[in-house]
Amino acid sequence: MSESLQVQLKKGVLEMCVLALLSKGDNYAYDIAARMAEAVGMGEGTIYPLMRRMQNDDLVTTYLQESASGPPRKYYKLTKAGAAALKSQRAEWDAFEIAVAKILGDAS
Amino acid sequence: MNRAMFLAELRMGLSGLPAQEIEETVADYDAHFSEGMAAGRGEAAIATALGDPARLAKELRAEAGFRRWESERSAGSLIGAVIALLGLATLDLIFLVPFVCVVAAILIAMFASAVALAFAGGAVWLVALFPGMMAVGPTGILGSAAALWLGGIGLIAAAIGLGALTWLLLDIVVRGLVNYARLHFRLLDSANNPQPQDKE
Repeated sequence: MSESLQVQLKKGVLEMCVLALLSKGDNYAYDIAARMAEAVGMGEGTIYPLMRRMQNDDLVTTYLQESASGPPRKYYKLTKAGAAALKSQRAEWDAFEIAVAKILGDAS
Repeated sequence: MNRAMFLAELRMGLSGLPAQEIEETVADYDAHFSEGMAAGRGEAAIATALGDPARLAKELRAEAGFRRWESERSAGSLIGAVIALLGLATLDLIFLVPFVCVVAAILIAMFASAVALAFAGGAVWLVALFPGMMAVGPTGILGSAAALWLGGIGLIAAAIGLGALTWLLLDIVVRGLVNYARLHFRLLDSANNPQPQDKE
């Protein structure tokens, strides 16, 4: 397996990143994909399987909203379960980050 | 690859899923093209950034198969989940194949043992019910109808227990593979290194 550490890390935290984006406000898939592609180099197409799974897991719900340009957009909104998932994943991430930083600090 | 080709290939790859799910998915990607073009990008650039539609379709189909297996544990949905896993395996889980073969062999052996035990139990029972069936029947305490009756029940209980254990292990293995596959396919082709588009 020649996958870089970075790719492995990204895969694990992708869902958490989308949850975090949505916690700042409802959003539509194109904008989420564009932000994620820019920030962590995620393939834009992979946002849709991910959003579908999160919807099936009741982490997000959708609604349609008129847009100034063109047809109505499908917006994603965090559910209570989604907010709870973000909280617990965040806690795990923070603990992991501290542990890694400590080891890296000891090593230098 | 342009918008129409991308959507046609995606739709083709999704065939077999419920019609509503296909329409929703294709509409999602169609909207993505609309948004991208409104932002001033070209069709080909958007298609490249989205990745290979055949691959996306496989991931979406796999997800649908996994969901069915999780919501309804039946033989039919198990076959669906396994087919979905195999579909992904042809992409990049190929190194899992030996592991899966070994586990499958163990599970099949356990299932066969359960079936054999059930048959043995049934046979012992028949002898208990119809002692005349055996020309030279067992004698002594083993030959008593009650002993045979209890023995039959014991064998069948063992068969049921082994069968349940097989199902439980199968459940654990499939769930583990599904979780692994999800983690594996969730991100992959990034916008920085697009998949080669060789189907033009």
